[in-house]
Amino acid sequence: MKLIGVDVGGTFTDLVLFDSNTGATFTHKTPTTPHNPSEGVMSGINELCRRFSVDRKSIDHIYHGTTTATNTMLEHDGAVCGMITNEGYRDIIHIGRHQRPQHFSIQQEIPWQDRPLVKRRWRKTVAHRIAPPHGEVLVPLDENAVRQAAETFKANDIDAIAICFLFAFLDPSHEHRARDIVLEVYPEAFVTCSSDVSPQFREFERFTTTAINAYIGPKVRNYVTMLEENIADQGYSADLHIMGSNGGLATSAMVAEKPVLTILSGPAAGVMGGAWSGGQSERHSLITFDVGGTSADIGIIQHGQFAEASPRDTWIAGFPLMVPMIDIHTIGAGGGSIAYQDKGGAFKVGPRSAGARPGPSCYGFGGDQPTVTDANLALGRLDPDNFLGGEMMLDQAKANQVIDNLANELSMDRLSCAEGIITIVNSAMANAIRSRTVQRGLDPREFSLMAFGGGGPLQASEVAAMLAIPEVIVPPHPGITSAIGLLTTDIKYDAIRTAFQVSGQVSHDRVEAMFSEMEGQLARQFRADNIPDNDVEFLRYADIRYVGQGYELRVKIDGKYFDNNAEKQLFDQFEKQHQTEYGRSFPDSPKEIVNVRVSGIGTSTKLEKQDTPSSGSIDDARVKVAQCVFRHGAELKTFDTAIYQRGKLPLDEKVEGPAIILQQDTTTVVRPGDSFHIDQQGNMLISINS
Amino acid sequence: MEQKIQQSIDPVTASVIQGALQNIAIEMGYKLMRMSYSSIIRESEDFGTALTDAKGNQLAESVQSTPLQSGPIPGYVKNVIEVFERRGTPFKHGDVIMHNDPYGGASHGPDIALIVPVFYGDILIGFSGTTAHHLDVGALSPGSCGIVDAIDVYAEGLQFKAIKVYDGGERNEAVWQILKDNVRAPGMVVGDMEAQVAACQIGAERFIDLVDRFGLQAVDDASEALMDYSERLMRNAIRDVPDGVYSAKTFIDGFLEDPDRRDLPLVVTITISGDEMEVDLEGTAPQVSDRPINMPLIGTVDISIWLTVRSVLLDSDIYGYIPQNSGLTRPITLKVPRGCLANPIFPAPVIARFTPGNQLADTVMKALAGAVPEQVSAGIGNLKVIAFSGLKEETHWVHMEIFEGSYGGRYNRNGMDAVDTLYANTRNNPIEDIESHLPMRVTRYELREDTSGAGRTRGGLGACRAFQFLEPGGFSVEGEGHKFAPWGFKGGNDGKTAELHLIHADGKSESLTSKVPYHTTETGDTFLAIGPSAGGYGEAFERSPEDVYEDVLDELISVETAERDYGVIISHGKLDLEATAKRRHA
Repeated sequence: MKLIGVDVGGTFTDLVLFDSNTGATFTHKTPTTPHNPSEGVMSGINELCRRFSVDRKSIDHIYHGTTTATNTMLEHDGAVCGMITNEGYRDIIHIGRHQRPQHFSIQQEIPWQDRPLVKRRWRKTVAHRIAPPHGEVLVPLDENAVRQAAETFKANDIDAIAICFLFAFLDPSHEHRARDIVLEVYPEAFVTCSSDVSPQFREFERFTTTAINAYIGPKVRNYVTMLEENIADQGYSADLHIMGSNGGLATSAMVAEKPVLTILSGPAAGVMGGAWSGGQSERHSLITFDVGGTSADIGIIQHGQFAEASPRDTWIAGFPLMVPMIDIHTIGAGGGSIAYQDKGGAFKVGPRSAGARPGPSCYGFGGDQPTVTDANLALGRLDPDNFLGGEMMLDQAKANQVIDNLANELSMDRLSCAEGIITIVNSAMANAIRSRTVQRGLDPREFSLMAFGGGGPLQASEVAAMLAIPEVIVPPHPGITSAIGLLTTDIKYDAIRTAFQVSGQVSHDRVEAMFSEMEGQLARQFRADNIPDNDVEFLRYADIRYVGQGYELRVKIDGKYFDNNAEKQLFDQFEKQHQTEYGRSFPDSPKEIVNVRVSGIGTSTKLEKQDTPSSGSIDDARVKVAQCVFRHGAELKTFDTAIYQRGKLPLDEKVEGPAIILQQDTTTVVRPGDSFHIDQQGNMLISINS
Repeated sequence: MEQKIQQSIDPVTASVIQGALQNIAIEMGYKLMRMSYSSIIRESEDFGTALTDAKGNQLAESVQSTPLQSGPIPGYVKNVIEVFERRGTPFKHGDVIMHNDPYGGASHGPDIALIVPVFYGDILIGFSGTTAHHLDVGALSPGSCGIVDAIDVYAEGLQFKAIKVYDGGERNEAVWQILKDNVRAPGMVVGDMEAQVAACQIGAERFIDLVDRFGLQAVDDASEALMDYSERLMRNAIRDVPDGVYSAKTFIDGFLEDPDRRDLPLVVTITISGDEMEVDLEGTAPQVSDRPINMPLIGTVDISIWLTVRSVLLDSDIYGYIPQNSGLTRPITLKVPRGCLANPIFPAPVIARFTPGNQLADTVMKALAGAVPEQVSAGIGNLKVIAFSGLKEETHWVHMEIFEGSYGGRYNRNGMDAVDTLYANTRNNPIEDIESHLPMRVTRYELREDTSGAGRTRGGLGACRAFQFLEPGGFSVEGEGHKFAPWGFKGGNDGKTAELHLIHADGKSESLTSKVPYHTTETGDTFLAIGPSAGGYGEAFERSPEDVYEDVLDELISVETAERDYGVIISHGKLDLEATAKRRHA
């Protein structure tokens, strides 16, 4: 079987081809085509096949990481949407939680008021209301009003429509009825219901999630459909799957219906790729550390599994989003982050970034502000002649000059200033990791830091040292980790229901009915995707809190049937997790099952192992010895530092730092006192002496 | 930058330590919010966490808490230090101290602080503190808001004046028992306090780790540098304001049915001189000695003033996030006559100071409007806090909800609709949560159409929100803004006052004033709050006809209002530019 993983990044579209018959992998890179990313995707696939003489017909699956959904939100250029909602509640998505995004600002923007997903004029209300606990109908649905709204939308070419009724998670039938009426009137519309997108309580967040689905719907649907057609037209018989924010793949049909599931498509693939590469070296507790030009993405892997974000912590472009997502913590710190002295005289780095254009000053594209990359160059940690495998020359004099300017303002010398930039950005990254580990009851000393992206391996060793993380891992191809990640996962769909069941009074029949109903729904979906029942596995979870709390913890349920034992085991496990996460538990307090959830996993063919590099020798690998500056206790010191070509290094041979390791897609820095080796699986393992 | 800054610590280490301090306060807030029980803390986010130095100067605060909560923590801590000195009580490792004395730094009685002294070896290096608004503190009627008939602080509920609830690690069971026996909903209240203790202890642990990593001297120096930094920013910002005297006056409703206790003026006079600012409240109404709308000077009045000055002069949307600490307030001097509403004399009651304090913030903004007109908004719509309650098998349920206001128009933007204003920034409770857990139904929640103050930029709209009782119960209200409309600015129109109605099951309706002491309700009674709409900014005739038309299409204003207030003519659903030009020049 042959698989292609294709990930669209800001600058490059990365591709990996895996042949499961021979175990061979091939990689390729092509420029991203921002106006229509599918062009870059298609030409990349074509080039890859041509370059490695692969028959187009022989490709079985194409797995794709896309930024279409994310960019539509970030650039705010989605569809003109309509909404049908309950009479009396027209402004739920406008009022939100009545909280301002910033405490200390008069002039701030409120995203949901200043750039609404659905303008008020297109929020149509209809008589209808149901109530908890079981969806009792207080006011029946006014079907005529729904029909009228649909006609108005049709007359105004508003073809993306969100149906959002209060308490729809208790009974989706009313939303479905409204949807059917809209489709009768307006069959070509993209219609989406809150009970299908995110059937859980909290109306502002659910309605907003549904509105986002409508807002990005037509664009993502068109993108996926067009790409699928192109693939077929150009002689491929492969099917297309898209990476979801939940760390699993979804069929193109599923994504066309629920594009909101792909908001974190690319970063999720990165975490999956990092987890997989670490797993190759039997490392299953990992902090993934993906550093690009403007931001750093951090993910946590325990027992080989990623953490899922709390639905109350997930945002896109300032809007809340309530769908299952990998817990990825993003901070505005990367190679392009700009260093400056602020108005109060403080030394700051980021979050403003020079991005790819003009980029760091040393790129010579007109940037004139000191960035993290300029600082690395000034310290000798980047080799001006060997950046991106020598594809780009860096301007050392320019870097020194912009650092000097800032150093003057701060009354520092050049090297202290450059090293200061690195220390400040690294400590921001370390704080971000601390918030996902120490603050959640996890000890960073039990993890390895998996560094990738263009900037991860440059910063990782110092960040690890700040957190006493004992080991940094740099995979063989740190620049294409997301593309690799696409080939390491399964098809995954989630279902969720709000249950509200309190300990001592849990109706096992009701909960079991919810579970089996969700499993039935997912099973039908897998069958529709032609995945045999034997290849499908269901995992059950519950979101639990102490009665009265407002935040839930997700707990896995073992066992096939929800009975007394399962309930006891579930609540015991919740107490343990609460203790770990918050440092306290309250065993005598009643507990509440808020949501029940099922993840369905359909096994798919995956990448088996990494390219094993051929072994070279230290002498062959050593390019030169250069002067690099590192902190040594309180002092800055210049060290003779060997610079190596990664591809020529021997396997399993320990090398002492300081060292700089060059490769096509990144540069790795090894500090004095640390050491590293390349293992049999192709990973570079750096032991950190902290 | 011309001016070189002298500090005893290198800027890199300072930046690293400051980031770490901030991170600790955020973690405390995160944990408190997620562990707590009552919706006023975990949903409304009416809590605060902070670290202070050994003298009670604030080092860092959580970013997620409402400003009226984190801001006062140094005041609580400073008073606890004083009280301990006076009593000759030493701080010990393992102490947890409870404090809510409104005449001792507390914002008001229900905002109870739990404070942990942090020791590094034997040295007291600081305090880790949290405050949170508790559901009930044993006042005369259920809930801890709308106690508008308290005649002195004793009627407001339990007072804890620097009480060790843990003494050297040992739990003081007697105090906890007294507490449990004297508050309604003790499970929730004590659960929330336990969460506060846990958050303080986490903060203390992390603070010690930080000193372990960097050394005491470096942490002290970084803290000092941080305060100097915030001070410098504030001084620079004040220096940019033209020297002069800027004054403003607004009124609070007080008790509208009581001729002796209504229409009370708040007067603010700001004097800018170089990089210093004096805020003088001379002219503000005398205290109301037997009704709780007086505002504690430390904990409410100071926070209200600082918050507004900072939001206007160092707007975080423009200046980025600036660390809140004691340095920020050094350039600002307060002059508040003793015995006025804003500096009451013990034991004058203060529990319902929330909305008067926010009106004071609005008055400060109105004074600043004269100095920096492009940095303010027109008058805000003030808030309401309402306690709903009932009895279930001899146990109370209490639910507190803050009802939103709105912001006036701004130089470049319309006012914010239906939000918390100025020193409050809490969240509402989801309808789907309320109805799933309480015998109440939210029967309406939407914008109050066609009410905003007209202007070149329009005022924000208030919200209409209705709660129906599904079982007999009761409510109490503290609010403002029923009589005095939010002020228009630079030719903009005033906004619209708030209203409150109780609609009985039989359809009969009664209007309520902005302060309602505990009032019982029957099944089917509906409580309808109509929020205030804010003032307009600039001449309404200067608003672009297209923007007015957009507002009409969105049904935010009517066709009639477009013509009357804006001179914009819309006929047969279309914007008529020609007729508009004629009308505007008539």
